[in-house]
Amino acid sequence: MHYRLNVNRHLYEAEVPSGTPLLSVLRDDLGLTGTRFGCGQGICGACYVLADGQPVPSCMISIEEAAEKSILTIEGLSSGSDLHRVQRAFLEEDAMQCGYCISGILISAAALLMKTPKPSEEQICQALAPHFCRCGIYLRIIRAVKRAAA
Amino acid sequence: MSTTASHPGKETLDRLEQRIVVEHDGTIVVRSGKVEYGQGIRTGFAKIVADELAVSLENVRVELGETDCVPWDMGTFGSMSTAVDGAIVRAAAAFARKILLDRAAVRLETPALELSIANGKVVTSDGRSISYQELVGAEPLTGIIPEGELTNHNVESPQDAPLRLEAHAIVTGSARYSGDIRLPGMLWGQALHPPVQGSEIVTLDEHGAHALPGVVALVRDQDFIGVVAQRSQQAIAAIRALQVEWKRPPGASEMPFEIALRSDSAIDMAFTAASRYLTAEYHVPHISHVPIGPSVAVADVREDEAHLYVSTQRPFGLRDQVAQLLGVSPSRVHIHMQMMSGTYGRGNMNDAAMDAVRLSRAVRRPVLVQWTREEEFRSSPHRPMLDARISAALNSEGMIAAWRYLTQTNLHTYGRAASLPSGVLEATSGRNAVPAYRVGCSEVLLRVAPAQVRTGAYRSLAAAPNVFAIESFMDELAHISGQPPLTFRLRHVEDERLRRVLCTVCERSNWDQKPRQSGHGFGMACAIYHGTYIAEVAEIEMDSTGQVHIEQVWCVVDAGRLVHPDGARNQIEGAIQQAASWTLFEELRIADGRVANISLKDYRIASFRDAIRQMDITFLPAQKFPSTGIGEAGSVPMAAALANAVFEASGVRVRRLPLTAATISAARILK
Repeated sequence: MHYRLNVNRHLYEAEVPSGTPLLSVLRDDLGLTGTRFGCGQGICGACYVLADGQPVPSCMISIEEAAEKSILTIEGLSSGSDLHRVQRAFLEEDAMQCGYCISGILISAAALLMKTPKPSEEQICQALAPHFCRCGIYLRIIRAVKRAAA
Repeated sequence: MSTTASHPGKETLDRLEQRIVVEHDGTIVVRSGKVEYGQGIRTGFAKIVADELAVSLENVRVELGETDCVPWDMGTFGSMSTAVDGAIVRAAAAFARKILLDRAAVRLETPALELSIANGKVVTSDGRSISYQELVGAEPLTGIIPEGELTNHNVESPQDAPLRLEAHAIVTGSARYSGDIRLPGMLWGQALHPPVQGSEIVTLDEHGAHALPGVVALVRDQDFIGVVAQRSQQAIAAIRALQVEWKRPPGASEMPFEIALRSDSAIDMAFTAASRYLTAEYHVPHISHVPIGPSVAVADVREDEAHLYVSTQRPFGLRDQVAQLLGVSPSRVHIHMQMMSGTYGRGNMNDAAMDAVRLSRAVRRPVLVQWTREEEFRSSPHRPMLDARISAALNSEGMIAAWRYLTQTNLHTYGRAASLPSGVLEATSGRNAVPAYRVGCSEVLLRVAPAQVRTGAYRSLAAAPNVFAIESFMDELAHISGQPPLTFRLRHVEDERLRRVLCTVCERSNWDQKPRQSGHGFGMACAIYHGTYIAEVAEIEMDSTGQVHIEQVWCVVDAGRLVHPDGARNQIEGAIQQAASWTLFEELRIADGRVANISLKDYRIASFRDAIRQMDITFLPAQKFPSTGIGEAGSVPMAAALANAVFEASGVRVRRLPLTAATISAARILK
């Protein structure tokens, strides 16, 4: 089937089977591999994107649903070489180890700051709760989000 | 580990040209067979060389794990990258500096002792200079790297600031993990793994799978069955459509191994002579690595060679494994290391890569295999379980006079127990089974038995489980003999560096002064892990349902000379949080050889809601000691520190993990 998608403010065309998860379209058809595969069940948070500004697991949305929305992935978070403030804060705190979970976490953190410019620690943990970081650097990430909000 | 003794690479001396190359534009290339998976060694190695050769980090390029160009290496595990390879890289850089200074002395007609280095140049006191690349020209730096440090250049203390060479690529999403590789003509593959390890196929009905859209090939190669399809979902659907009848393996394939790690002859007498005894049994269940990125690899098998785009902890081991399977020389197998999801030991087994090789060989096109989350839980090698029984006798002064430790676990490495070189079982399954204390007469017996599930290396190997048992028991001994836990430990500590981390962690946490109240507790534990000294204190709160919440953790580490302090702190913080997750939540439920909890819904790991919000990490100044590892040590004392805190908070001694409300409640009933 043929689909048109709005991703990172660009129009893309994709020829994929109906029902294909957005995650697979992004990674396998559009070359946007910055959104990571983690579980395929919407539990781990690695594949989060913004759909009409809402953070969602892209493994759980079909291309049909995605085609009606404006999608933002990690590749679209910065504008050109200008990093988003959450990206800068993660660099400044070295809030990462292997980095695999970071794309999804940055997406949710950016969405949180749009809605709540000065989140409390509780609000940060609440907003990031769908994301697992197995390297275990939650504390650094919380610190980085606070820095981005400052 | 299994190939250490036999590999010729171990006997040859390290050569400079294999380690450091100065390119025409002045870039300094550093090569190591170790790999990066979040522990920060790329940054660490770059810093070492930048410091030793006085260049900026941007002028250093670190090549890791590319088998075609880096020196042979056994694998990246055991927190040895900085301790061992980092030391070689430092020696290589110092040797390169010496050669450059000698060459400059001739070119600048100035004695080498009057020269210094700065910004990639050798400079004289009167302002003349010559760049490294000019000094190298057409004559590369070569030679056997001398042992011992060359110390004619003062390296300043490392700057304590965040730094990670991959950071920009990570935050922009441009970092390329092996699952992100896309080759022309590439297909997606999946393999069928038996629900119980070692099972054989009795019947296979593949008709349903063949008929599905996108299926390119069904591959059967002896016991291996796989599918290749146009898209990943199609490959997964085809595997699920296969109708298979399995035959379970006849029983345990290997006999248990028993090894005495210590056996003092007077042990029975020492027990008889003592005034008090205590015996306790501890249990640590199987847990899963749960890398956020499941195993994934791309293989491109051609007529007489193969390219692998992978993330593995053992690039050379994989190369040899693939060469053997394909019947080609190892030099025809090219391992291209990509960014790697943290795997914490799981990356020693190249499951997805071997699946991909078999499938690519069959279809003669590049194939990407990405394990599903379910396969990761069901079929990957998990952490071995541990059953430990400890007995100790105290003399009339409350000192340990005799110690008997019987531990049963499984293989913590790959291969078969029978084929491992001597010493490997002791160093892996027996890691930290011998206590770090003076314990009088002792016997330490290790039994390595087959497990119901695949087992393998997991961060710190048997150290974290053994230290849980030993450090819990030390607290029990302190308690029955009416001694404060710190005092009791210190009375048995011989090593000054261990004493220092223990005393410091108690000062930092204000151990003696903190008010104690019911439902709230502090616990301590310590270890010497692979040369790194570490002590931790955990403060916990138990809620009305019996759940444990961690309020704060203090940790004091002596890891010798620090290369990158903030990187080391990051590792320790992460290890503490990960070990807290193992300890409070994790257990694979295994029934009849099958893992029952095969999703993140059923296998709980710590989330942001469980985040430890306060950590106080202190590195003791120890620049005069060689660097030791920091990747695993932080995880080692955590379980005992938490169990000891639970005891203080509730009066309940919990001797099995995880420390869930249910386990604690069961232990309370047994009390």
